[in-house]
Amino acid sequence: MEKFSNEAKVGILVVISIILLGYMAMRVGKFSFTKEAGYTLVVYFDSVAGLALDVPVEIAGVEVGRVRNIALEANRAMVTLMMRPDIQLTKDAKAIIRTKGILGDKYVELIPGSDAAPLIEPGGRITQTIPTTDIDSLLNVLGSVAQDIKSLSQSLSNVLGGEEGERSMRQIVDNVQEMAQTLNDIVQKNNEDISTIVGNFTIFSERLKEIGNANTDDIRSIVDNVRKASEHLETLITGLHEITVKVNEGKGSIGQLINDDQTVKNLNEALASLKGVTEKINKGEGSIGKLVNDDQTVDNLNDALTGINDYIKKQDTYRTFLDYRGEYLFGSEEAKSYLSLRIQPREDKYYLLQVVDDPRGKKSTTEYTRTLDGVTSHEQIVEIEKDELKFSAQISKRYYDIAFRGGLFESTGGVGVDYYMYNDRLTFSLEAFDFDADTNPHLKFKADYTPFQHIYLTAGFDDFISEEGDESFFIGAGISFSDEDIKTLLFNVPIPK
Amino acid sequence: MIYFLELAGRPIKLFVEESGKIVLLFLSALTWLVRPPLRLRLIAKQMEFVGVQSLSVVMITAAFAGMVLALQTYYGFRMFGGESLVGATVALSLTRELGPVFTALMVTGRAGSAMAAELGTMKVTEQVDALYTMSVNPVQYLIVPRILAAVLMVPILTILADFIGIVGGYFVGVHLLGINSGIFMARIVEFVEMDDITNGLIKSAFFGLILSLIGTFKGFYTTGGAEGVGKATTEAVVYASVSILISDYILTALMF
Repeated sequence: MEKFSNEAKVGILVVISIILLGYMAMRVGKFSFTKEAGYTLVVYFDSVAGLALDVPVEIAGVEVGRVRNIALEANRAMVTLMMRPDIQLTKDAKAIIRTKGILGDKYVELIPGSDAAPLIEPGGRITQTIPTTDIDSLLNVLGSVAQDIKSLSQSLSNVLGGEEGERSMRQIVDNVQEMAQTLNDIVQKNNEDISTIVGNFTIFSERLKEIGNANTDDIRSIVDNVRKASEHLETLITGLHEITVKVNEGKGSIGQLINDDQTVKNLNEALASLKGVTEKINKGEGSIGKLVNDDQTVDNLNDALTGINDYIKKQDTYRTFLDYRGEYLFGSEEAKSYLSLRIQPREDKYYLLQVVDDPRGKKSTTEYTRTLDGVTSHEQIVEIEKDELKFSAQISKRYYDIAFRGGLFESTGGVGVDYYMYNDRLTFSLEAFDFDADTNPHLKFKADYTPFQHIYLTAGFDDFISEEGDESFFIGAGISFSDEDIKTLLFNVPIPK
Repeated sequence: MIYFLELAGRPIKLFVEESGKIVLLFLSALTWLVRPPLRLRLIAKQMEFVGVQSLSVVMITAAFAGMVLALQTYYGFRMFGGESLVGATVALSLTRELGPVFTALMVTGRAGSAMAAELGTMKVTEQVDALYTMSVNPVQYLIVPRILAAVLMVPILTILADFIGIVGGYFVGVHLLGINSGIFMARIVEFVEMDDITNGLIKSAFFGLILSLIGTFKGFYTTGGAEGVGKATTEAVVYASVSILISDYILTALMF
C-alpha cells in the first residue's frame, strides 16, 4: 500500500464508484438527460379508477410512453400521454386501460389502427376508447343476461310446463301419429280401387282416341271457329293496344298525366329541392339550418330563457311594502309617526320613501351676520316648526345579514346600518344623521321585532348623544304590508254592487 | 420561579447559539473555500481519510443491510405471493434511504468523530492559535478540506454502498431463498428509477456536509483539556447522527 499516494487511492475509489453508478444507471434504463422528449396525446376515459401518474403506455406490451397527467373534464377523465417521439399513431387507434400483474397495477394499452388512416398530430386526441371491463361491470352485465334467460325460460315453462302444456304437447304428438296411421290405412285399403282407376283411365284414353278418329271433321270445324274467334280477339287486342299507345304517347288527359316528362321532371325537381333543403338544414346552412344546427342557437335560446327567467324572478322579487310605525318617546312624552313606502327591486336592495311627523318639529336654523359700526356679530335664530313634516329618502344595500343605508334621514343627510337576525325577524339598526359642525349628530339605535306577519314591535334610544337634552328612550309598534298583501286585501274586500 | 424559567430557557438558548455558530462557521468555510490557495494536498489527504479508509466499514454495513433487508422482506412478501418484489424493495430501500443514511452514519462514527478529536486536541494544545500566529487561517487550513472531502466522498461511498447492498440482497434472495434471478433483476430494473439513485446521492452529499460541519465545529470550539476533547467527540457523533436522521426526513419529504 505504500506505493499508492493518497491521491491515487482517492482516484481509484472515485473511478470505481463512477463506473458502478454508470452501470446502475444503464440497468435502470431511464438514462435521459433531456426530460420529456416526445409529444403528448389526449384520451378521454369514462373512468380511470386505479390509474396512476407516470404509469407506462404500451403497444403490444412494449412501452411507448408514460401517463403524464390525469384530470377531470366535463365529468370524464382526461388522460395526457407523453409518447416516445418515434411512435406514430393513426386516428383510428384505440386506447384501453388494462391491468397488469397480481397487484392489479393499471396501465394504458394502445391498439394501433390501420396504416391507411391519417396520423394523429402531436397534442391530438385518441378518440376511440374501449371501456374497461372491471369485475363489477362484468358482473352487472352477467346479471342482466341471467335475468333475460330466466324470463325466457319462465315463459317457456309457462307455455310447456304444467299439466295443460304437457297434455297439449302429448295431444299434438298423438294427432301426428294418428294422421300418419290413417294415411297409411287409406293407401292400403284402396290399393285395389286405385288400380281400377288407373285401368279405367287407360280405357278412357283409348276411347277418346277412337272418338277423335271418327269425328275428325267436326273437330276441324271447331278449330276453325276457334280460329275466327281468335281473330276477333286479335282486333280487340289491337284496339286495346291503340289505347295504351295513346296513353303512352301522352294523348288524352290520363296520358298526359302519366307521360308528360314535365310532370316527372317537376316531381324530380320537387324532390331534389326538398333534399337540398334538408341537406342544407343538416349542414347548418341557411337560417333554418343555422337555427337547427348551430350550437349557438341553443346557447342563445338558453340565454334567452335564462334572461326571461331572471326577469320573471325579478318580477317575483320586486316587492313594495307599505309601512306605518309609531314611537312613543319617553323624553318628551309624545308620539312620533312614520309612514313609509319601501320599494324592493331585489332581495338585497330597497329604496325607502318616508314621511315623518316629529313632535319635536322641524328645526331650521337661520344665521344672520350683522355689521354694525364695524363690529360684526353673528346671530342664530332657531325656528322650530311643530307641524311641519320631515321626509326621508334612503337607499339600502344588503350583504348577507348586514345592510347599509344612506340618504335623507328626517330631512337631513345621514347613514345607517342594519343587522338582521333570526330570518329577519329581529333587526338592530343604528342611524346617524343631522351632522352639524356645532352639535353632535343625531344618533338613533333601535331594535325591531316582528312576532307576527304584519305587525312589529320596536324599542330603542333616540338621539342619545344629544347636547340639547333630546335623548329619549322609545317604544313603539308598526304595521307593514307588502303590495301583495294589499292586493289580496283589496280583492277580498266585498264591493257593493 | 426564575430558576425554573432559566431551566426551560437554557437549552433553547444553547440550541440557538450553537446553530448560529454552526451557520457562521459554514459561511466562513464557504468564503474561505473560494479564496486561494486551495490546498489540494490537504483535501486529498482528507478524502483519503474520509473516503478510502471508511470503505471497508461502509461496504460491510451495506452488504449486510441489503442481505437482512432481502431476508425480512421475503418473509413479508411471501404472505401474499409477492416474492418477486423482494429485489425491487431491497434496491429501492437502499438507493433511496438506507444507502445514504447508513453510509453517513458510518462515516460520522469513523471520520466525524476523528475530526472532532483531531481539531479539539489542536485547539486545547493551542495549535490552532499557532496557526493564527503563522497567519494561516485555521478555517481554510483545517475545516475547508474536511468539509469538502466529506461532501465529495460520502456520495461516492453511497454509490458503492448501494451497489454492494443490492449485491448482498441478490445473494440472499437468489442463492439462499431461491427467487428467480431474472425476475429479481427485472423487478429492480422495472421499479427503480434513476431519480431514486440521484436523489439518494444528493441526500448523501447533504449528510456529508452535516457530519463534517458538526465534527469540525465541535472540535474547533473545544474547551477544557483532554476531557473537553472527549466531550466534543461524543457530542459531535451524537449531534451529527441525529441531525442526519432529521434532515433525512426533511430532504426526503422535499425531494420525493
